[in-house]
Amino acid sequence: MKFRVAFLCFSLLLFITNVVYSETDSLLKASSKKITENSPSDIRTGERIFHGFVPSATKTINCASCHNVGRIDTLNWSPSALDLALKYAKKDLATFKSAIMQPTGNLMSQIHENLELNDEQIRQIKSYLTELAKKGEEPAKPLLTNRIIFILLILLFLLAFIDFAITHKVKIAGVHLIVLLVTAIFITKYIVTSAIGLGRSQNYQPDQPIKFSHKVHAGQNQTSCLYCHFNAEQSKAAGIPPANVCANCHVIVKDGSRSGKFEIAKIYQALDNNKRIEWIKVHNLPDHVYFNHAQHVVTGKIDCKQCHGDVASMDQVVQVKDLSMGWCVNCHRETGVQFANKFYGKYEQLHKDLNDGKIDKVTVEKIGGTDCMKCHY
Amino acid sequence: MEKYWRSIDEIENGPVQDKKNLEEESHNNEVIGLLEGIPFKTSASRRDFLKVMSYSVASAALLSACQKPIQHAIPFLIQPSDIVPGKASHYASTFIDGNEFCPIVVKVRDGRPIKLEGNELYKYTRGGTSARVQASILSLYDNARIKNPKGKNKAIQWIDADKEIVAGLEKINRNGQDIVLLTSTIFSPSTLKTIEDFKSHYPHTKVVNYDVVSYSGMADAYKEATGKTGIPYPLFNKADVIVNFGADFLGTWLLPTEFTLAYVSKRKVEKGTYKMSRHIQFESNLSLTGSNADERIQIKPSEELIILANLYNLIASKQGAELLSVAPITGDFKLEKISNELLGNRGKSLVLSGSNDISIQKIIIAINGLLNNYGHTFDLEKPILIKQGSDKEMFELVDNMNTGKVGAIFFNNANPCHDYYASGEFIKALEKVDLKISFSGFPDETMPYCDFVCPDHHFLESWNDFEPRTGIYSISQPCIHHLFDTRPMQESLLTWADKPVKWDEYMKSHWEKVIYSKQNGKSDFESFWIETLQNGTLETTESEKLTISKVSDIKEIKIDNSKSIELQLVVPIAIASGFHSNNPWLQELPDPISRVTWDNYASVSPKFATEKNLKTGDVIMVDNKIEIPVLVQPGQTYGVISVALNYGRIKVGKVAEDVGVNMYPFVNKQNNNLQYFQADISIHKTGKTVTLAQTQTHHTMEGREIVRETTLTKYADKPTSGNEAHEEFEKTHQTLYPERKYDSFHWGLGIDLNACIGCGACTIACQVENNVAVVGKEQVTKRRIMHWIRVDRYYTGPPEKPSVLFQPVMCQHCDNAPCENVCPVAATTHSNEGLNQMTYNRCLGTRYCINNCPYKVRRFNWLKFADNPKFDFNQNSQLGKMVLNPDVVVRERGVVEKCTFCVQRIQDKKLTAKLENRTLKDGEVQPACVQSCPAEAMTFGDLNDQHSNIFKVYANERNYHLLEELHTLPKVGYLTKVRNT
Repeated sequence: MKFRVAFLCFSLLLFITNVVYSETDSLLKASSKKITENSPSDIRTGERIFHGFVPSATKTINCASCHNVGRIDTLNWSPSALDLALKYAKKDLATFKSAIMQPTGNLMSQIHENLELNDEQIRQIKSYLTELAKKGEEPAKPLLTNRIIFILLILLFLLAFIDFAITHKVKIAGVHLIVLLVTAIFITKYIVTSAIGLGRSQNYQPDQPIKFSHKVHAGQNQTSCLYCHFNAEQSKAAGIPPANVCANCHVIVKDGSRSGKFEIAKIYQALDNNKRIEWIKVHNLPDHVYFNHAQHVVTGKIDCKQCHGDVASMDQVVQVKDLSMGWCVNCHRETGVQFANKFYGKYEQLHKDLNDGKIDKVTVEKIGGTDCMKCHY
Repeated sequence: MEKYWRSIDEIENGPVQDKKNLEEESHNNEVIGLLEGIPFKTSASRRDFLKVMSYSVASAALLSACQKPIQHAIPFLIQPSDIVPGKASHYASTFIDGNEFCPIVVKVRDGRPIKLEGNELYKYTRGGTSARVQASILSLYDNARIKNPKGKNKAIQWIDADKEIVAGLEKINRNGQDIVLLTSTIFSPSTLKTIEDFKSHYPHTKVVNYDVVSYSGMADAYKEATGKTGIPYPLFNKADVIVNFGADFLGTWLLPTEFTLAYVSKRKVEKGTYKMSRHIQFESNLSLTGSNADERIQIKPSEELIILANLYNLIASKQGAELLSVAPITGDFKLEKISNELLGNRGKSLVLSGSNDISIQKIIIAINGLLNNYGHTFDLEKPILIKQGSDKEMFELVDNMNTGKVGAIFFNNANPCHDYYASGEFIKALEKVDLKISFSGFPDETMPYCDFVCPDHHFLESWNDFEPRTGIYSISQPCIHHLFDTRPMQESLLTWADKPVKWDEYMKSHWEKVIYSKQNGKSDFESFWIETLQNGTLETTESEKLTISKVSDIKEIKIDNSKSIELQLVVPIAIASGFHSNNPWLQELPDPISRVTWDNYASVSPKFATEKNLKTGDVIMVDNKIEIPVLVQPGQTYGVISVALNYGRIKVGKVAEDVGVNMYPFVNKQNNNLQYFQADISIHKTGKTVTLAQTQTHHTMEGREIVRETTLTKYADKPTSGNEAHEEFEKTHQTLYPERKYDSFHWGLGIDLNACIGCGACTIACQVENNVAVVGKEQVTKRRIMHWIRVDRYYTGPPEKPSVLFQPVMCQHCDNAPCENVCPVAATTHSNEGLNQMTYNRCLGTRYCINNCPYKVRRFNWLKFADNPKFDFNQNSQLGKMVLNPDVVVRERGVVEKCTFCVQRIQDKKLTAKLENRTLKDGEVQPACVQSCPAEAMTFGDLNDQHSNIFKVYANERNYHLLEELHTLPKVGYLTKVRNT
């Protein structure tokens, strides 16, 4: 008994620490280079200006309204305060000033047009940003709600059980059973749903190192998916386009409609400094699954949308389908094969059935598309 | 039916169940062992079980709360046009380990080489490889590799090393001392040019060729006979009679992969012609080559000379040639019959010897001369250049070192401190040399004595060219950027000779200046160069035109026929030259004959063992020098103990540590040549016993008609001879299950037992392709070896003089598979193309399938073999894991695995055909085993295609299936073995 209680406490402890630490992903790591010290008052004033607490002669300037400080849930096309901080941390004040006051990008010029900031204020803002760069990104706050409820339910269950079996504090008949039943149902539901979701990540929508909009590229500009993801026609991997493919267009288009120049400039920074761009993979399959893009895109003539959703309408790519095995297999059961491909000439019986009208299409399943070793080897 | 047996115990006591081991394996330890990853815990209480249970439940709950790790996708900044992520490219290159040569194609996936295959454009191997070639890819990712230049055993910058070395060399040059390059035979034209350039800067440079196992006797004999360097190339495909004295030409001798193909082309019998070569082998141990012979005659190593001299006299007397003065031999060696056979096949026979005794080789030359074989079964125009080492030069070198004549010595692919016969003497002499430099990219026993280590690139990282035979060229090209701070040996030499040129440019310019002019196919160099790189090999019309002018100056042979025990030293098949000692795949490859892994041992004959009261596993003391376990080996000559060389390495890395015994101290010097046997050996039992990790008693087939054989005469009489059972079973074939129709493909494999030489290349090829785990010696003794394809070896006949049969066995992909019916979770199922599928993620390890498989080809992951420090092989290191095939899953503990017919390759080729909108060609899909086979013994293809090669194999009268009486309808067919006796 002692052992079990100790073990329970231990697992709870583990559980809680896990919750607290698990969600701190470190996409952007603050530069650890030495940054010159600034006086605390400058930093404070700079922060106030940045947040629009210092009114100017004509109107209030609020940098933070566009350049978010800290994490936000929505997509902000303007560079965040931290982005700016990191970019200008090692640059001098004159560069910083000209970047604010004489912007070169269209979008930024419009917004920064009537900016009224004196040199002193610009210096203070820079001190604030420099301090921000030094501190780096604030750790993400863990989302506790679901798990807290789960822990509370377990505690409630245990409490009810202990009271029912040992302490007998609550005298009303039936309460224990009701509480036990209800909590058990919810606990089971939670475990079952999280077990099913184990390894799946539908609706996954990570922030990318460059704020790239598929909506602009594939939607408004009608760029073909395969222009950038050209590997999909030859290889199992669709591939993320190499920076030189981005540069094909962006050698001319240097000013974006959403994010201005800031994000596009990252391509050139990468190319010039020979620094890799670490995109985050959205659609992940487990290691024991073999999936080949060329098979589906070229041979199967499957539209990208069918698995990836309407990417052309997404600013930030989100995983629409759950990519579960059931989902794969269902599609293999329903989808017709491009039977005109000469490779399928071997399937004489199926060709005959098709010509005789016995079947109206040859599904992937009919040619072995649901065999285990089509995807697992 | 003849009785087939696999071990001495079995022939005496019937099928062995190995009871002791079975008891040991009682399952009570397994549950806890599996859960905790502790392989050998002795007992487990209920309380332990609860602990483990509650822990695993809790951790499962915790796991569900964890987030998936973020996966990055990092594209190229500028994607090279010839690299497609996720798709493999293939580059022609050359395998070279200082001992063996083989043109290869390297499969490079996402920037890293993951598989070597034979180069099909090289007509002498046609895509064949050996086990060493297949396994050598792992040496690229060997953690023991030298990662940076070293000076006085400390890391050093190249620039500093160069400065110090050049200063040292200049001084030695001024003093007029020798600078010696001690190297395995260099047959690279560009490297030879580099050495010329080095010599012009340092005129006192000498090159001493030193091969690990010496071929000096043969090389010198031919040099004397022809006046030129080069060993005539034996043409096995033109020889009707082969008389071989101990040369393991199918295993390790000279160019085994090429010889295998040529040899086997004469061994495959066709209906109608009924012709095959006859192979007579004289030998002391049962070698791989000997086990394939039609007739084996057991001799002692010391008797070889006198037997050959008598054979010569028999032939010479009938030809009217001058006779040797030699005492007649006693004992029945069938020399009369053999000499008649040889004389009946003048110009169509081969007489070979693996001996390093120059007298023996001279008689061999004389016999072949009498038989008019030169120019017919020996190619004199394109002689072999890969072995030019001279024992005499090596003896002189040691003398020169002792007298202080040698100022500097470079070691290239040479490790004399381990493998020189008098390594102690060599080490002492080395102290008198001022500057000692090692070019080795791997740690070896010579390295600690060197002042500088200037590591060479791995052969897969480096440019190189080779001329294994006159006018036949092969190129190496780098398939990966060098992983560590290494530099090509040639570039080091050029740098020190004050010619700082990049080695690749240097080599290309040499080709442009010299080799380009030797061919006349291409009119401009660039296109010639690109084409040569693509093909990997080039054959020009250059020829040497050797003439055997001086036959033999031997007049008299004196021999004291000893009655004592003799010790014979042989080259092992798996680790061969010792270059591969640190390769766990090769250490775990069972020896083709003895099926022993992870050890060398003293083979003794059954009669000798009985007399001396020895059993397999008994440790004996040999000559009061070394202790070594005994293996009772059927077919071993009575009174001869055979032990493999190149074991007992101490400084090559953790895999080879404590594996076997170093036998080089027993090599001795005889008449200016090294001799690989020693007479008058004393042995005594130490009383100790060890377990040899033998796979021999695994996988019993209970004495049913598994291997079938016949003789050439019977076969010519009746093509189904030896295979009568097949006809019968076909007639009575009944099945409870409805016969399944395969609409598209129906994959099948055919193996010609006449062509299979048992070398084990397929086993390793499969291991590389399918990420098969290495389990280590201890687990092999528990019969947990994971190889998906095993080469069963059966003996037949008396234990003293058995015949040998080899039979590769992998999953038979039965159409009525017994394993499929018993799986409770449908983890093993049948595909619509006839494949027996194994789904690892469904498997929960009941092992019912293993129990129900009559072929015992399924393997169970008893333990976690990857990322487990207890199995510290390639799957436990980040570097070693780079060799893994990304298309194949690394199996977890507790699941069953087995041969898949390389389904990933089938799918890949099918997709290629689909993308090109065409049908799949016959022979396009090749599983790894089929691709690697040097003997072209395996055929894979679609049984539904009546024009396919596999269909023809299945239609052959010799075709049968394993245990076909069970009506499992296997999709692996075997062709009966035919012997030419």
